[in-house]
Amino acid sequence: MTDPSNSVEFAIEAKGLRKIFDQTEAVRGIDFAVSRGECFGFLGPNGAGKTTTMRMIGCVSPVTAGSFHVFGLDPRIHLRKIKNRIGIVPQESNLDEALPVEENLTVYARFFNVPSALARQRAEELLEFMELTEKKNSKITDLSGGMKRRLLISRALMSDPELLILDEPTTGLDPQARHHVWDKLFELKKRGVTQIVTTHYMDEAQQLCDRIVIMDRGLIMEQGNPIDLVEKLIGREVLEMRLPESLNERIPKDDPLIRGFDTYRDLLLLYSDKADALLNKIKAIGIETDYAIVRRSTLEDVFLKLTGRRLTE
Amino acid sequence: MNPFKPVKFSPRQAFRVWQREVSVYKHVYRSTIISNLMDPLVYLLALGFGLGAYVTRIQGISYIQFIAPGLIASSIMTAASFETTINTFVRINFDKVYEAMMATPVTVEDIVVGELLWATTRSTIYATVMLVVVAALGLTQSWFAILVPFMGVLGGLMFAVIGLTYTSFLKSIYHVNYFFTLFVTPLFLFSGVFYPLDPLPQIVKDIAFFSPLYHLVRVIRPLILGNVGTPVLFDLAWIIAFIAIFTVVPINLLRSKLVK
Repeated sequence: MTDPSNSVEFAIEAKGLRKIFDQTEAVRGIDFAVSRGECFGFLGPNGAGKTTTMRMIGCVSPVTAGSFHVFGLDPRIHLRKIKNRIGIVPQESNLDEALPVEENLTVYARFFNVPSALARQRAEELLEFMELTEKKNSKITDLSGGMKRRLLISRALMSDPELLILDEPTTGLDPQARHHVWDKLFELKKRGVTQIVTTHYMDEAQQLCDRIVIMDRGLIMEQGNPIDLVEKLIGREVLEMRLPESLNERIPKDDPLIRGFDTYRDLLLLYSDKADALLNKIKAIGIETDYAIVRRSTLEDVFLKLTGRRLTE
Repeated sequence: MNPFKPVKFSPRQAFRVWQREVSVYKHVYRSTIISNLMDPLVYLLALGFGLGAYVTRIQGISYIQFIAPGLIASSIMTAASFETTINTFVRINFDKVYEAMMATPVTVEDIVVGELLWATTRSTIYATVMLVVVAALGLTQSWFAILVPFMGVLGGLMFAVIGLTYTSFLKSIYHVNYFFTLFVTPLFLFSGVFYPLDPLPQIVKDIAFFSPLYHLVRVIRPLILGNVGTPVLFDLAWIIAFIAIFTVVPINLLRSKLVK
């Protein structure tokens, strides 16, 4: 008999997913579904509930309420079965510092009951893939941040998982190391590995993710394809101006060229599909300012629009 | 939460956890085994030959013969206690070893069972090495002595259960010391390792009944000296009952601590 979970369309399906710790509700009822082979991103400020959601997806943290299935299976019943098919890359390194690099991989594979000959072969291949072969006998404490991150990803791949969960995979890495990690994640995606990523970096989300959700205070604010979200919520361009309140008030916000706007202190953001024309129009009514630029809209605009510009911590 | 709730675990996954500890131990045993066994050996030689020069006979045997079995028992206690307090605390809080394991098909129950088995293994290794040293000094008088490693297993498991239970309440690494100053050291001194408890007041003997080390000493000493009689069965039963009743406690306590 074939495993019924193989025929399930979604790698993950969550409806009304909640997580309550003691008094605080970290995740307050969210719905999402991740298709097989998709790269799905969770964005949000610190404390939005991303990591908690990741921990529930990884079946490390029990779900408080809601319907939740991974590969069509309920983690309350099929915990080991699900975990056997998932690879987790944590935000902070929890590599085994008591073991050298290569053994970090082979010992980890034993938890998935990977036969030892196969584990050694995979360790060799993954160290090669992540360009860590020279370090195979090194101590963990001798690795750079980027190397540790690559080793954490290698470790998560030792069980040949169908689903890879990456919590802030490139936080703290220099640009070279970030691009290196991205390259490897692209290759994994081509091989059909479903990926779930959390990130603070909008460029990372735009690069890697087919679809994203933006979370804030335990809820999903918006979800969709990154480019579509920018198009839908912001428009093509942004006109950024710094100007005093008196001038701000004189700008007609109901102009057909303006799709939306936000004001933060003296900064005015006007969302538009034709920002140059808008700028000329504003100049024409006699409003002059030192700082006025037209730029392409980005996912960062969407993010800030939805989650606000306040500091969360 | 009921700490006596029955627990479910996978023997295979617990074995995987134990295997991780074996892999780590292969890297460190050369540098740790000598220092860990130094302690009981120094006691054996210093007190055995030093104090033994004055205390010439004790219960009809030489002083060094009297304390040798007791020091094997205390090495079992020390090995399991270190492993399940300091080492386990570091694995939970600093090295995040359990966090990494919990991202795999290993549950907290598997982890705790694996750790109990590992601490037991380490106690058994020390008991065996100590036995070899004691035998080499000509202090064993009976073939029953070959059963001592088996007491390493039972005694090790008993002290591992105690150590892990303490660790499940531990908030700071500095509080590990209390376990040794308030529990391990008093047991070491008042459990019949260095002198028979017979001349002491009845109250001390009553308290000793609750000392796990006291019962372990009372099983190991006859095995080494060859005077095995029915009282041994009583002490053995005490140890087995302790294990049977309390082993689930640290598993339940650590589950509620680690699963969030």
